[in-house]
Amino acid sequence: MKKLRSLFTLSLSLFLLFAAGCGGSKDAKKEEAKVLNIFSWADNFNPQVLKDFEKKYNCKVNYDVFANNEELLAKLQAGGSQYDVIQPSDYMVTTMTKLGLLEKLDKSKMPNTANIMDKLQHTTFDPNGEYSVVYTWGMTGIVYNTKYIKTAPTSWNDLWNPEYKGRVILLNDSREVFGMALKKHGHSNNSTDPAQIQEAFDDLKTLAPNVLAYDTDSIKQKFIAEEAWIGTMWSGDAYFTHKDNPDIAFVIPKEGTTVWADTFAIPKGAKHKELAEQFINYLYDPEVSVKNYEYIGYNDPNTKAASLHAKSFIEDPMLKTAVDQIDRGEWLTDIGDAITLYDKDWTELKTIK
Amino acid sequence: MQKTWRSATLAAYTLAILAFLYLPLLILTLYSFNDSRINAVWTGFTLKWYASLMTNDRVLEALTNSLIVASITTVVSTVMGTFAALALHRYQYRCRTFLNSLLYLPILIPEIVMGLSLLILFSQTGVPLGKPTLIIAHITFCLSFVIITVGARLEGSRDDLEEAAGDLYATPWQAFRYITLPMILPGIIAGALMAFTLSIDDFVISFFVAGPDSTTLPLYIYAMVKRGISPQINALSTCMMTVTVSLVVISQLLQMKSYHASRKD
Repeated sequence: MKKLRSLFTLSLSLFLLFAAGCGGSKDAKKEEAKVLNIFSWADNFNPQVLKDFEKKYNCKVNYDVFANNEELLAKLQAGGSQYDVIQPSDYMVTTMTKLGLLEKLDKSKMPNTANIMDKLQHTTFDPNGEYSVVYTWGMTGIVYNTKYIKTAPTSWNDLWNPEYKGRVILLNDSREVFGMALKKHGHSNNSTDPAQIQEAFDDLKTLAPNVLAYDTDSIKQKFIAEEAWIGTMWSGDAYFTHKDNPDIAFVIPKEGTTVWADTFAIPKGAKHKELAEQFINYLYDPEVSVKNYEYIGYNDPNTKAASLHAKSFIEDPMLKTAVDQIDRGEWLTDIGDAITLYDKDWTELKTIK
Repeated sequence: MQKTWRSATLAAYTLAILAFLYLPLLILTLYSFNDSRINAVWTGFTLKWYASLMTNDRVLEALTNSLIVASITTVVSTVMGTFAALALHRYQYRCRTFLNSLLYLPILIPEIVMGLSLLILFSQTGVPLGKPTLIIAHITFCLSFVIITVGARLEGSRDDLEEAAGDLYATPWQAFRYITLPMILPGIIAGALMAFTLSIDDFVISFFVAGPDSTTLPLYIYAMVKRGISPQINALSTCMMTVTVSLVVISQLLQMKSYHASRKD
């Protein structure tokens, strides 16, 4: 069996050599220059920033994209990939740390990461900040259209208002929706107590008939086009929506909410670790982050950049709300097997019309 | 009277089916020309989304990746497939039908199973994921299509011409070069176009076996949707659709032409 396998490996590698040969001399040249392989979300950087980095460090950046954390995890676990910088979200950092997939970060080689806001340096998903640094972050809040909703919502309970029947949108994510309902009842959004989850589920069932859609991908469009009046949204998306429809407003309800982050991490065995460290360090340079975050439209965690940003960006009501109220947020953490409780109820919830 | 009623129903039914098939694509295309960033509202005609695609480095990179992978896949699978089809056609041996159905199998196996099994294979043997693995995977599923297309052309062609060439002292190579190859060429081109189309379009298998520097257009579109559906995605999809449809049409025309040619013989 072993023989067969090695025979197979041999023939496969021969074939690979052949295929690589067909790839042409361009690939061979690339090997000489340094290469940084990034695996991230789509449109997560200002393209100019990547170009500047390539120029400054005389390297080539390969920017590949994934659409969700689970996809990232699967690719990393397959072991075949060779990425140097990855961008897992909060809870995925915990999962990957547990599975031993991440390299410990040497922050002495990335002095600029000290510029990150204190509150984002120590998070529950990575308590000592050993494996990840926060790149983009935001909070889940209530987004609403002031044209249709005259009194500003203050509580999650306002989503249940019967006047908004058929105009409510919830994020298409089980942890977000249940986290919201758990918060409404004063529980943690990481609750693993079946009784609390049941309470949240029973409550959500009464909201379900009012829901227009569970949507994450085209939620901005639905608010801009005023199909939806009120719903849950991430602060970064609220910033975008507000730009296209000035009637949109955003609040963090008094019961508290979920705070989330996408991070930088280096996978175990990364081939170009040094360049990866240089890249992460580069992105937290104040001038670079000004360019970068104003392009992608998420809260800049860089404290040194605050004075350099355009006034319209730093004082944007949506982004400012998140900064001011970060203490009301609770991070989502890996809740282990309890996730099956959420998933079961989630499936049922989505079938209620 | 009854006849006109019948044909009217039939026409309406046909139209309904066509609408069902093509309406979504039509709407997608239409909104790629919409001036507004929001899909929901039509505000005016524009080509700016197409222009912005041309300046988007990521899109161009994904396009280059797709073209590199599709070109190599096409060349390799066409050459391999043609020879395989010739061998299968020419020699009689035991288990011939069995072998033939084995070749059809990759077409029938769900793509997701194929993608997953390839991923497991690559990671078990320690082959790093990237363009090479992507190309190997694409060749795997394109091969069957080439063999079938070329095989069909061979079935419809005449073997006696090659024998006649042999009688006239043509070497086997000459017989192949001047008799067999021109005869099956339409089939080969149709197979190659098919392979190219399949490779450019493939998402599921690529999703599993792609690695660094091998994000293809379909993979990129999928990840882009996560950021919200923009007219840029519509424009990109429309471009891909146009290319695919024209390739399929060309391939069909070639097959039709070869069918008529063989009828004339």
